Parts: sequence; structure tokens; C-alpha cells
Amino acid sequence: MHRKIITIILVLFSGYVSAHSWTPTYPKFLPSYMDKVVETEMTLFNKRQDVEYYRIDVLDENMNPVIFASANKIYKVGYLQKIKILIFLREESLIDAVYICSKSMFIKSYTSLNRVSSRICSKIR
Amino acid sequence: MFRNILVGAVALLTASVYAENVPIYGTVEGNCIVVPDTTGVYGVPASDTLSTAVADGGVLPVVRYDVIIADYYKAVITTPTAFSESPPLNDVVNWTGSAAVHEVSDAGMSAYDTGKVEYNSTTEFDLTIAGSTWFEMDSKAEYGYDKPFPGGNYTAMVEANCIAK
Repeated sequence: MHRKIITIILVLFSGYVSAHSWTPTYPKFLPSYMDKVVETEMTLFNKRQDVEYYRIDVLDENMNPVIFASANKIYKVGYLQKIKILIFLREESLIDAVYICSKSMFIKSYTSLNRVSSRICSKIR
Repeated sequence: MFRNILVGAVALLTASVYAENVPIYGTVEGNCIVVPDTTGVYGVPASDTLSTAVADGGVLPVVRYDVIIADYYKAVITTPTAFSESPPLNDVVNWTGSAAVHEVSDAGMSAYDTGKVEYNSTTEFDLTIAGSTWFEMDSKAEYGYDKPFPGGNYTAMVEANCIAK
């Protein structure tokens, strides 16, 4: 059992070289300072050296976009930088909104190899 | 004398404060980490074909998924259906691709391959076990009808999604 845990921990730490994490898994919206608008805070941690930009989306269950507000839609996040992102939604949009996703974005001129674009989606509960 | 008693009383009171139990709180949250492990390379087995298959001289891209809590996420991997960078192409490119389990940190994860769901160019894996799973993707592009690909650089993107259930 200990061996298994150590293996998982080692693997997770080795992933710090190049990875992307988006938490919490199940965000909860709370009332904001604006009437009929709710907010939640997400955390984006960029451990990918090859990525500097991430796009934020709020999606319904069919992965169609839902209107939301945030300081930006595309965030510049340096390597090993962790940022907190506030997402605002109209109360009525909570019925449709299911996922909050962050997706890695590449600068076109830098894409000289066959790369992997990563997207992580949290589910609204 | 009175001064000594006062100092002793203060010291005892202070000690009672330090004797309080100090709780340690911890929360284990579900988390999915997507780690691009190996960059894919297209081999050119024929002038009209680009393929990441090892037999075709290519390198299969590999992505690692780390999940801390079991059964919180599914891996949704989409193989390319277009080039993100290429010389001008004036004919159709036919794409095929697939994803499969490459390595696992828990023997039970090998069953992900049998339970995977495939549609269009997308493969879904239910991440029912905590730990790390490496997935490899195969991608093949065939140009027109036996037409040679024009010379130049070709780039395509694999999309590795981790979707909360």
C-alpha cells in the first residue's frame, strides 16, 4: 500500500515539469456583490513550459458556450505561476452552465512540432 | 514573595495556553493533471501519407493523466482532423486516429482500453482508479488520391481533455 502511494506521489511530483492543473473539481457559485450575479473562484497552475496562454470557457452539457464574465477570456500565465480567476455568471445561466474549462493556447509561430493541447473542465454543482 | 507568586501564576497561565491541542486540517480535493509526455512526430512511409506509427518511422505522442481521487474525471482524447500548420493543400486530407493505454501506475487501469468509447476522432476513457495513466495516440493523414504531400512543415494538434464527471 505504502509503495503504491509513494509511486503515485513520485509520479505526481515528476509531472511538475510540464503539466496544467485547474481546480476545484466541483466549483460552487456564491452570490456576488452584484444583484442576480453569482461568482466562483478557480485556480489555474501552469506547469507547462511550452504554454503561456490559457483560454477560459463556461460550457453547457453539450459543450456549447454559456455567457460569462471574467477579467479576461485568455490569461497569460507564466511557467510555474498560479493564478486565481473569478468567474461571474447570471443566476439564470446557472441552469445551463455545467463546465468551467481552461484550455492551453499556443502561439502559431511557435508551433513547430506536433503538440498536445490540454483542456481541463471542472463541473458546476 | 508576592512577586514570585505573581510570576509563577503568570507562567502557569501561559503554560495552560500552550497546552491546547493544535489541530491540523487537511482536505484532499479531486484534481486532474494533464502532462504532455512525448511529442509526436510524423513519419513519411509513402509520399501521400504521414503517420505517427512506429512502423512508419513516426513517434507516437504520449500524454499522462494524473488523478488524485478515483472516479472524478474522464479522459477525452481527440486526434487531429486538420493541420494547424502546413503548406497550401488543394486536395482533401483523410484523417484516421485512435488513442490507447500505453502505461499504467495501477494494474487495474489496463481495463480502460476495453471500456473506452470511440466516436469520430475522439476516444473517452473513464478514469475510475486514482494514479497515473499514459495514453498514446496514433494519427495518420492521407492526401487526395495517391497525391504526394507538398514539401514543407506539417503540424497537427492532439487535444487531451480531462472532464469532471
